[in-house]
Amino acid sequence: MHNSDGSNTAVTVRAYHVPQSVSTATALLAQGEAAVIAGGTDLVPQQRTGSGTWQPVLVSIRRIKALRGVREQAGQLWLGPLTTVSELLCDPLIARYAPVLARAADCFASSQIRNAATLGGNICNASPAGDLLVPLMLLDAEVELSCSRDGVISMRCLPIEEFLVGPGSTQRQPAELLTGIRLPLVDAARIFVFEKFGTRPALDIATVSVGLLAVAAGERLQQVRVALGAVAPVVLRARAAEAVLEGRRLDNEAITAAVAAALEEINPIDDVRASGWYRSELVCNLLTRVLRNAVVS
Amino acid sequence: MPLFHEIGFVLNGSPIRLSVPVTMTVLEMLRGPLNLTGTKYGCGEGECGACTVLVDGLSLNACILLAVECDGREITSIEGLAADPAAAGLRRAFVEAGAVQCGFCTPGMVVQGKYLLDTRTGTDRAAIARGLEGNLCRCTGYRKVVDAIERAMGSTEGAGGD
Amino acid sequence: MTEKHEPVASLIGQRIPKQDAPEKVNGRARYVHDINLPGQLVGKILRSGRLHARILAIDVAAARALPGVHAVITAADVPTQTIGVTRDNPPLKGDKVRCERDEIAAVAAETEELADAALALITVEYEDLPLLLDVAAAREAEAPLIHDDKPGNIALQFDYEHGDVVKGEAESDVVIEDRFGLHYVTHACMGVSGVIADFDDITGNLTLYSNTQVPFLHKREFAEVLELDPNRIRIIQPTIGGGFGSKLDIYPFEPICVYLARAAGRPVKLVFSRAEEFLASPTRQPARVLLRSGCRNDGRLTFRKVDMLLDNGGYTSWGATTPMVMMQTFSSLYRVPHCLYHSTAAYTNNPYAGSFRGYGNLQATFAVEAHMDKLADAIGMDPLEFRLLNAQEAGEVSGQGMHFRSCGFKDCLRTAADRSDYLARRQQNIEQRSTGPVQRGVGMASMLHVGGGAKIYPSDGCGTILKLDDFGHVTILTGASEIGQGSETVLSQLVCEELGLPLTSVTVVNNDTDITPWDVGVHASRTTFIAGNAAVGAARLAKEKILKAAAAATGQPMQELDLRGGGIVQRQDGSTLMTLDKLLRSMHFQDKADLVITSYYYEPPSVHQDDQHKGDVSAAYAWACQVVEVEVDSDTGVVRLLKCTAAHDVGRVINRLGIEGQIEGGIVMGQGYALSEDLAIRDGHCLNPGFRDYKLITAPEVPELDLSFIETMDGEGPRGAKGVGEAPAICVAAAVANAIENATGVRIYQLPFTPENVYRALRAAAHDPPV
Repeated sequence: MHNSDGSNTAVTVRAYHVPQSVSTATALLAQGEAAVIAGGTDLVPQQRTGSGTWQPVLVSIRRIKALRGVREQAGQLWLGPLTTVSELLCDPLIARYAPVLARAADCFASSQIRNAATLGGNICNASPAGDLLVPLMLLDAEVELSCSRDGVISMRCLPIEEFLVGPGSTQRQPAELLTGIRLPLVDAARIFVFEKFGTRPALDIATVSVGLLAVAAGERLQQVRVALGAVAPVVLRARAAEAVLEGRRLDNEAITAAVAAALEEINPIDDVRASGWYRSELVCNLLTRVLRNAVVS
Repeated sequence: MPLFHEIGFVLNGSPIRLSVPVTMTVLEMLRGPLNLTGTKYGCGEGECGACTVLVDGLSLNACILLAVECDGREITSIEGLAADPAAAGLRRAFVEAGAVQCGFCTPGMVVQGKYLLDTRTGTDRAAIARGLEGNLCRCTGYRKVVDAIERAMGSTEGAGGD
Repeated sequence: MTEKHEPVASLIGQRIPKQDAPEKVNGRARYVHDINLPGQLVGKILRSGRLHARILAIDVAAARALPGVHAVITAADVPTQTIGVTRDNPPLKGDKVRCERDEIAAVAAETEELADAALALITVEYEDLPLLLDVAAAREAEAPLIHDDKPGNIALQFDYEHGDVVKGEAESDVVIEDRFGLHYVTHACMGVSGVIADFDDITGNLTLYSNTQVPFLHKREFAEVLELDPNRIRIIQPTIGGGFGSKLDIYPFEPICVYLARAAGRPVKLVFSRAEEFLASPTRQPARVLLRSGCRNDGRLTFRKVDMLLDNGGYTSWGATTPMVMMQTFSSLYRVPHCLYHSTAAYTNNPYAGSFRGYGNLQATFAVEAHMDKLADAIGMDPLEFRLLNAQEAGEVSGQGMHFRSCGFKDCLRTAADRSDYLARRQQNIEQRSTGPVQRGVGMASMLHVGGGAKIYPSDGCGTILKLDDFGHVTILTGASEIGQGSETVLSQLVCEELGLPLTSVTVVNNDTDITPWDVGVHASRTTFIAGNAAVGAARLAKEKILKAAAAATGQPMQELDLRGGGIVQRQDGSTLMTLDKLLRSMHFQDKADLVITSYYYEPPSVHQDDQHKGDVSAAYAWACQVVEVEVDSDTGVVRLLKCTAAHDVGRVINRLGIEGQIEGGIVMGQGYALSEDLAIRDGHCLNPGFRDYKLITAPEVPELDLSFIETMDGEGPRGAKGVGEAPAICVAAAVANAIENATGVRIYQLPFTPENVYRALRAAAHDPPV
């Protein structure tokens, strides 16, 4: 059987659940063959274009209150995975502690998508171009994964860099639910830049995106984080570039060296949006510009 | 035989119960069993905004929203706005500003316009244009759609009065 | 009894909201997608996906056997008729497939899911054939033959000449030659294609709910294709979700839907998905242009020599005839004493092209206006003066025999230049190049297009029937379709202006071939002009009849009476003698009842071109000049369109709100063509059949727009108006090319100016070529 756009409905949904708690949700996931739906902004179009198929069990998590909210706790900022992209844009704690995330949220799709798309969904979709993933990488985000075994919920925490494995692929086991995102709170004022290349302010799958986060200590950058989107199978921490910049004055020599290091780390592909060569050029030029602007500010 | 699920929600101000296939979208539900054809199919993948509806006051693309996910929520389609005095000024602005040509994108534009009116006040044209970035139009070049929303925002009675 | 009457404001030139806007704003307009007939089945098409192959066998047995499937058809089940401009396109392919979209089979089923399931059960056996993907190779001896009866894969060729280009070149002080590449884009109407076919089960008559832009032509063509009597076909045009020329030809899905309805014995509705819309709709005609032009040191153009290669794709549609418009631009946009034009459209396994707003003029203007800047530069003349020197004036006849009776060309040039501060900015951009990667540039381009119809069919006319009821309500039955461009509002204005009635008293009927009189169709920007004149003609006949009766009723001579403000008035002082509705009732209820019903068929005084393609093919011509300002970022190649200053010779503004909407929309469509839209046909396949990767311009990308209307008051146009529908899209890309050159010193000869394309061009020009 096929859906109207040719996608295969050989496997159709046989059960639909709307659990109200993490324990119910994880118990359902533990039974297998289940897909999680939050905002649905990735899941539903993927069914329509046939790039995915429905799992037999569909678990809607939108009623689980424990997955919502943005709050400070124990030196961290905790974000619920059901936080929508629109909420990221407006939240005062995000504005204060993680403005680079709000900036990326402003480049995300359209207001209709932002109103439905969730932070957790974006993370689990693990797009190489994921707009929110670049800032999360910069912010040293960790994801909380919960699962239940014999009625007991256990949780593990992974740095996002470890969690994202490949295009559309994460460390989440089928029985696990993403139940939280943690951002370490940093005392010092930080400079941040997020640049998503495109001709539109948003409504664009990123051709290339560049993020920088660092503490400005006089004329030197410290705790430098550089992340690049759409130039590798996953959003990339450009650690070699970071190493060049760490503790260093941002002069032309440093910028050139950092950019050269970043170019070694990326592996952009040719696709209908851009050639790999052009993506490399963009990384070079945009990262240079980002670093030069960091100097200025 | 697809799996059906019963949902209850408020549609254009009236409560309704309906049994729908689990994978049916709100767009399919509106245009099919509910026979409300004002909401349009433009692309089916959330890229064009022709299917914009309000759900609990938020504008969403109905084509990628599962109907079952609207259980317990309030949906407003263009038909609801057509009957809503609070949207009369906005609708009149669309007509008077020349914001309608073929009209296919218009329901989505009006619904998104209502969302902008309800959530952003004192907004400049650039911000209105950004607010429309998810609504594609092939006829108007958008200028008069922005004019219409600006006019509705600026009107002293807000968006009301018939 | 007389009453002093206040002067009534003219309706002409006012800002009038579109008549159908309220129902569209309320979501009540019913497009073909919204119409459902009782007993209706869902139709779907199986497309080959293969580019070039012989069809060995099609097995539909399993599909036919599926419960809920009422018909499955292949070429074997339908008449062997072909469609398209040269009748080379069978709606269902029986012997071979020639491009990705080719239609192999079709089903009619109770639901969409069942139709999809049936399609999945159809198996096809193919024998692959070698592919022909590069039109430059199409004519070579070893090239695969796409159509057996078309040697050398030649679809259509055009040749045109006026003067002697050899002489022209000899007279030139400067000669330049360049190649230009124009790409694939698609209409991307917001409403996807759809059609409903309904055979009456008693009479056997066919009703088609179709968004055709040429209903009367299609009635005749459908009759041929379907082997039906044309007087038993009725075409009803639902509200359309965009046309732009995409619905000027018959495409396979429509006859297929009719065949399904016939086979199933039930109405069938066939609607595309958006992906299918991208894959199966006609494109804009891509073109490879070689232009050689010259001028003298005193600034006068001498000659243009054009050689053009057009990729015809697998079948011939209107795209192959765009040379008929392109040669008009090469021969007549600016005064050119000598012109030679040749084009060849050759078959390939690529998608095929149809008609699209501008109809080849965007492509031709792109080349012409690049050379205008280059020639001016070569002789050291400023580009505005160069253009003014060569711009035609009212009264001239072009080398191709086009009579420019009204001509606002120079006014357009001067207005656009003045309002944009073109010369000063252009100079400043050259002298003060910024040190950073972002540069600004301004560029100018003009266009010439038909503005009074185009006599390419036996008739270029339109009929109108006018009916006035006893209460002064006027019904206009017009053959002219409304495709969102506001024709019904303009026609209402023209009629109400003649009859002195308010716009609230009018109904327009325009969408049913059983009811409305003949019109050739909505194309060539002709509707305001032709349908407008037809409506005015019918209104004047009605007015004459009314005033004759009024003269008898009031005892006043006819020539001293007029119709204003809903009444019969004294022409001199405007005093009302009686209300119109009272007069109409008295005309009706007298012994010899006299209803006011009139009809008028307007055929414009243009001529068919002779076999040299020469002749005054339109009753009027329109010009425009646009100056654009861009910002180019050489770090990324992103070109942002900041401002477009447009001056359009429209003859006369009828509906100011409507015409602004047309110009604004056309400019943004031109912006998309120049900067962001790119139908990625790679190895014959469309790689971006969706809005995610086919980039329409969105609201935040729209530039500042400054519009001026030059009213040259055309003598033949209704109230002086000329056509404007296509004009605003035509010269944007050409202006942007000139602006990029002003910003960067680099001229790019291929569209689109997407960031990667621009970046590569800038790098190549900097002798730093891409890897």
